[in-house]
Amino acid sequence: MTQTDIEKGAAAASPYVPKMARIVAADQMTETERFFRLEMEGEPLAYEPGQFVGVTVFGVGESPISICSSPTQGERIELTIRSVGLVTGALRTFEAGDRLGIRGPFGNGFDTGAMKGQDVLFVAGGLGLAPTRSLIRYVLDKREDFGKVTILAGAREPNLLLFREEIAEWVERSDADTLVTVNQPDKDWKGNVGVITRLFKQVEIDPARTCAVIVGPPVMFKFAVLEALAAGVPEHRIICSLERHMKCGVGKCGHCQIRGVYVCRDGPVFTYEQVKRLREGI
Amino acid sequence: MLPQVLKTSDLGAWVEALMAESRVAAPVLKETNVSDPTDLKFGWQYVPDPADVRLDYTVTVLGPKKFLWPPRQKLVRYNLGAGAEPEAIIDHEPHVLLGVHPCDITAIATLDAAFAKDVPDPHYLARRSDTAIIGLDCGAPCDESSFCLDMGSLYPESGFDVMLTPLGDAYFVEVATQLGEALVEAAVVRPATKQDMEAHQAFAEEKRSDFHYKLPYELKYLPEILDASYDSLVWEAIARQCFSCGSCNIACPTCYCFDVYDEVEVDLSKGCRVRRYDSCQLDPFAEVAGGENFRQERASRLRHRMFRKGKYILEQTGRVGCVGCGRCERACVAGISIKDTYVQIAGSR
Amino acid sequence: MADKPTLAFFSLACCEGCQLQVLACEEKLLPILEKADIVRFREASDGDADHYDVTFVEGSIVTAHDLERIKEIRAKTDTLVALGACATIAGVNAVKNFQDPDDVAAYVYGDKKEWFPHIAARPLKAEVPVDVEIHGCPINSDEFLEVVTCLLMGKPYRQPNYPVCVDCKLAGNVCLWNKGIPCLGVVTRAGCAPLMCPSAGHKCIGCRGLVDNPNTQAAKDVMAEFGLTVDDVLREFRLFQGIYDEVAKEA
Repeated sequence: MTQTDIEKGAAAASPYVPKMARIVAADQMTETERFFRLEMEGEPLAYEPGQFVGVTVFGVGESPISICSSPTQGERIELTIRSVGLVTGALRTFEAGDRLGIRGPFGNGFDTGAMKGQDVLFVAGGLGLAPTRSLIRYVLDKREDFGKVTILAGAREPNLLLFREEIAEWVERSDADTLVTVNQPDKDWKGNVGVITRLFKQVEIDPARTCAVIVGPPVMFKFAVLEALAAGVPEHRIICSLERHMKCGVGKCGHCQIRGVYVCRDGPVFTYEQVKRLREGI
Repeated sequence: MLPQVLKTSDLGAWVEALMAESRVAAPVLKETNVSDPTDLKFGWQYVPDPADVRLDYTVTVLGPKKFLWPPRQKLVRYNLGAGAEPEAIIDHEPHVLLGVHPCDITAIATLDAAFAKDVPDPHYLARRSDTAIIGLDCGAPCDESSFCLDMGSLYPESGFDVMLTPLGDAYFVEVATQLGEALVEAAVVRPATKQDMEAHQAFAEEKRSDFHYKLPYELKYLPEILDASYDSLVWEAIARQCFSCGSCNIACPTCYCFDVYDEVEVDLSKGCRVRRYDSCQLDPFAEVAGGENFRQERASRLRHRMFRKGKYILEQTGRVGCVGCGRCERACVAGISIKDTYVQIAGSR
Repeated sequence: MADKPTLAFFSLACCEGCQLQVLACEEKLLPILEKADIVRFREASDGDADHYDVTFVEGSIVTAHDLERIKEIRAKTDTLVALGACATIAGVNAVKNFQDPDDVAAYVYGDKKEWFPHIAARPLKAEVPVDVEIHGCPINSDEFLEVVTCLLMGKPYRQPNYPVCVDCKLAGNVCLWNKGIPCLGVVTRAGCAPLMCPSAGHKCIGCRGLVDNPNTQAAKDVMAEFGLTVDDVLREFRLFQGIYDEVAKEA
């Protein structure tokens, strides 16, 4: 490395400084998940479906959060945040009008170009629906660019199901097949019951032209991948988004590293072919 | 500038001249073993007095990395309350690192590459660009733990501004950069003569015979050997002795993983974002907020470190992550040795 | 004034050194006093209140009377903070749990031992829910300030979850084991820096308790390599890590 490279680096803005954003809408979706719509105070965020941001609560810290909206929806970004940690716990009390810090977007996002013209099968469990929704919205907004669209969504219980109203709209659409299941129904639940892989029986997959986007807890991911493989979908067209501990978002801090790969920079979206080779991926 | 010669007796005056311009960090004597007066413990410090500089040092617990990349570094400051107005803290001032051994010169070049890659890290790079490095060649291995010859760090071709080679009562002074030239101008030196050149050559030749290879294979095969060892029982066996205490990472001159957290002043008016050294050997390193830990097993963390040093950092930066300095082995209470591990995996399946 | 959170300090069986560490914060306490009212602090002032937002309790439970007191305190408290090794891991008080209780009573109280009924020493969490722990003998003033700052902001305090070795190496210390001194830093929770014992040449004696998932087997193996017997090893661990599971059984 030369001296001038170093000077250039020093002059560049620090990648660790958050930009300010204002919450324009906040909604408690479930007991633990909170939805936010944000507006950047400076330049809007240019992002791809599947990317994530670092959300700062000043004085508390930062947490990596998937963007759950699609750039086709406009300049605002939407986040679904599960309150499990220091920062996400603090966000429980944040309302419209409050301000947050945002870094990013980080990561590669879904390769929408490669999916063009293909059938897209979404399999999303639990909080996995958040990053998946980003792509679902994108695909539905650019519907003519894609083949058959199938959406399988699952949750442990009905009251843990995210985006219920929106899913209901997807179910109504004639240009997409949407199926929903819960593991443990309550007395009002009228839909499918059982783990999400049970829904595979109800859908037809043309393995020659299907991209399977599978995002959810590790156990769900494992079995949904087996179903997709059994249906003949090749490993390089099974696509997932990984969750890891992250501190920097720019491939330095090492927390998200899986073997030689930094999830924050090289992911979080990977094909199953890649994940399988990583061994420590799932 | 052609090679120069600095009399050992003029070193103090040079250090004093350098100290007039900027801070100078160098190895100093930290403590002496009461039962063995020859067992000296050295450490890197900003020197208050030129007489404290000990260029006869062997090993230090921490390398000079801490001056380029402080163990705890503030990245961003902000207000609490209405307007956060976050801004970067780029904290740097000129300083000279005096007496950096070849292994640490090599390690610094690796850190340079890692922090400049992809998204550059100005918090590191600003300090780096304000750092002058005066190297000090080694005539003999530090101890049994070091294997710098194997790891290709014994003969750095760049990464220093000046290189000193001890020749009895004088130092052979090679100047590698313009900055180095400015540094040497502050010293009382004379141009090297033919005899000095020959003495320098003799030092290099003697050095070559004093260092011995310790790995049974060439460095270029290490990534492959690591890959083949991924499922070996070796990791589990070594991990039984491992405390996961993180000492190896803290002592390592190329480890650069960090934790980031926020600190708040007691009057709740201001906060800052801080990073500090982290260790992939610690239990929570790969744990996500929901509680899932992707390297829960001690053995998988230990393997990760060995792979990172021998393979992953190489893939990231083009430079191997281990410089063979032996610090991790010396720092390990359980005596886990990266060198022995690399030997062991070559013969295991 | 009424809106300020109220803080209280209590002592059970201990030397009250942890409260002194709080007072040692000196002027750094002033911003806290602007944000909160200290309603009970025997080492510094008189007074009391019916309810405490945050209560700091140092010391172990060693008598039936202590048991009653901690339950009363808990009932009046929103957030209970265990202050120091005696309160978090029973501290040196737990040494007596490994002795004959009668001998202990006779040694301390002589022929008046019947007047002072005592029970096995235990940390606060053995009897009441504890919200935050500040480890150490004594506590680290900086950590106390950090905990208070977190409490005032309403954010959880995350105690260090790495061993003393990390901070010790960062201090550039030569490992005491390299000098033949068995040090418990490898399995002890960090947080004592920069005033850590190894920096002063003294071995870590584990006053902050065990880090999560310590490799105690490796610790025993290493100690054995140094020629220590199982009894030696247990004694090393016992000074501060009085095992309260055993305590609970005895009680």
